[in-house]
Amino acid sequence: MGSSDRIKVLVSVIGLDGHSIGAEVVCRMLMDAGMEVVYLGIYQTPEMIVQAAIQEDVDVIGISSHASNYGQIVQLLNLLKENHLEDTCVICGGTIPKHQMEELKKKGVSEIFPPQSTSESIVNHIVSRCRNRVRQES
Amino acid sequence: MKRETDYGHSIKSVYTPKDIEDLHYERDLGDPGFYPYTRGYYPDGYRSRVWTRRMTAGLGSSRQTNEVLKQYREMGQKGGMLVICDRTNAMPIDPDHPIGRREAGVLGWPGASLLEFEELMEDIPLTGQSITLLGSCAMSSIRLAYLVALAEKRGVDLNEVHGSVTEYPFCSTFGQTDAQPLDLNLKLWLDSSEYIIRNRIRMRSGILSQHFQESGGNNAQALAVEMAMLKELCGLLVNERGLDFDDVALLPYELVSVGSRFFEEIAKIRALRRMWAKMARETFKARKEKSCQLLISVHTSGRTMTYQQPLNNIARCAIQTLAGAMAGCTAIDNACLDNAHAEPSPLAARMSLNTQHIVADETGVTDVADPLGGSYFVEYLTNKVEEEAYKIWGKIEEQGGMIAAVQKGYVQKMLKESAEEKHREVERGDRLIVGVNELVIPPEEDYQIPIKELKAGDSEDIARRMEEWKKTRNMRLIEEKMGELYANAKKEDRFNLMPSIIEAVKAYATSGEIVGVIRKARGLSYDPLGVLDCPFDFR
Repeated sequence: MGSSDRIKVLVSVIGLDGHSIGAEVVCRMLMDAGMEVVYLGIYQTPEMIVQAAIQEDVDVIGISSHASNYGQIVQLLNLLKENHLEDTCVICGGTIPKHQMEELKKKGVSEIFPPQSTSESIVNHIVSRCRNRVRQES
Repeated sequence: MKRETDYGHSIKSVYTPKDIEDLHYERDLGDPGFYPYTRGYYPDGYRSRVWTRRMTAGLGSSRQTNEVLKQYREMGQKGGMLVICDRTNAMPIDPDHPIGRREAGVLGWPGASLLEFEELMEDIPLTGQSITLLGSCAMSSIRLAYLVALAEKRGVDLNEVHGSVTEYPFCSTFGQTDAQPLDLNLKLWLDSSEYIIRNRIRMRSGILSQHFQESGGNNAQALAVEMAMLKELCGLLVNERGLDFDDVALLPYELVSVGSRFFEEIAKIRALRRMWAKMARETFKARKEKSCQLLISVHTSGRTMTYQQPLNNIARCAIQTLAGAMAGCTAIDNACLDNAHAEPSPLAARMSLNTQHIVADETGVTDVADPLGGSYFVEYLTNKVEEEAYKIWGKIEEQGGMIAAVQKGYVQKMLKESAEEKHREVERGDRLIVGVNELVIPPEEDYQIPIKELKAGDSEDIARRMEEWKKTRNMRLIEEKMGELYANAKKEDRFNLMPSIIEAVKAYATSGEIVGVIRKARGLSYDPLGVLDCPFDFR
């Protein structure tokens, strides 16, 4: 877990797209639910995101994707594996078509949230994943 | 369910003459074609000229985008083309950039050189339809150079070309990809605008409220932000570049987002016409009537296109298209049914264009100008949104104008709060969205729409082509032109870089190279992502 008992989430847009408002709204949701949020912003490569995840020692990585090139999310998952961080919960949101969602979940993304997903659905998913992880560690 | 306008004003169940008893026809409305132009710019409305029906194009290589443009022509897009650039080109960095190559051709056209523009425009005439290229500010000055260069190559009189290829400097504030600092964007915008105006080129520059509003701004805020931008930018062209307002007034065009709240959207556009007309005459002392007419195009709202049950979006798009048409505008481009999934599939594109054709040809909307003029409700709404917009605009002016308000984060804070509130409204059920917070069906039961996508390999192909092509260029000529550009970019902001940019473009320097050199001259890193060094030696 993060420094306190609070769940720590890294939120970032991935790649070169600048549509950040979705990620920013999610940050607000998570903070309102009592989580600690680190927001990286835009123009973040998979390498930069993983670097920050390590530095910040986060429990969850939330990725906002607006572009139709999902290879970068897969790169992120591979980098996490290389850094022995495959246990970190990775969730995604944005404009991601259904078959890509299935592909990404097969590769290790915990859940994918389409546009207009509720705070409840995102927060509940994170909480249940982190609770399970603590149970495994103890 | 809330019975309020999107900016929070309570709506009654019926409106009567009492609600608009202070309305004075000549003073507040005027006939279409008469100041203050609330009812539109043409006495005959669409009988003089129907709005241009267009669809955004841009995915994959320039050749692929060229193919799509030809397909759209078959689907009835005859009056104008609209192409948006990809993420790398919006920054701009080149498609062969180590980071850029992962997204070359994604979400748009990789317009990194004159060659790309030539391929985009193969067998497509520069005249006879409006040419609109969208996407970020610094890059847009290079797009203007493409147009100048290609017109010269083809022996086309540039004054016969119309449309818009340049764009305002604030788009990165509103969620668009644009990696350049505001002062550089502003300087290049002033350069390209001055060049257009002094050379009497009939190209417009996009000063858009669409980006702001698609990021979650409400109608009153959108009008305030639009007017504040127009005031500041037109003011700079007059005061800093010494241009005449009546010439400047022919430059801006607005792309307004039209959502589903039908009557409010119509009121917004009518109010905008009146607000611009008043500012032109009262603030800028316009001498010509044309100066009081802001060119307004409509973009039906991508933000309202749901992920869930995407076929519902056809209905939403039709309602929004009808609203835009009834409000009166010069062009419409639609967001598509698959907007929340991917780039427009051919089916989605045809659906969007057909929606416009159905509205134009089957509903009778083109028979009468401003058909809702005189409606107690719509006139009330027009007055109300204008009133609220003036209050917000006033607050922006109190900050020192749009540029100062952006530098202070005031506009960004306002936008963020509005976006968060809109999200909460949907969560609470104050605003209903069919398929999202009511009448939800399990995803397995949903209709599977065709998806058009770019594969990672396609991006790599574009990157590799750029890499190889770069080596075939006349490097001595390019270095000479870049040297001139560098020297000129070191001069004061007032020195117009367009001639140097045009020379560099004609020599086939790329957009990453051109903006990189300008950045270097201004003491910034050549590469906004800090990976590449400047390949040119300026000694």
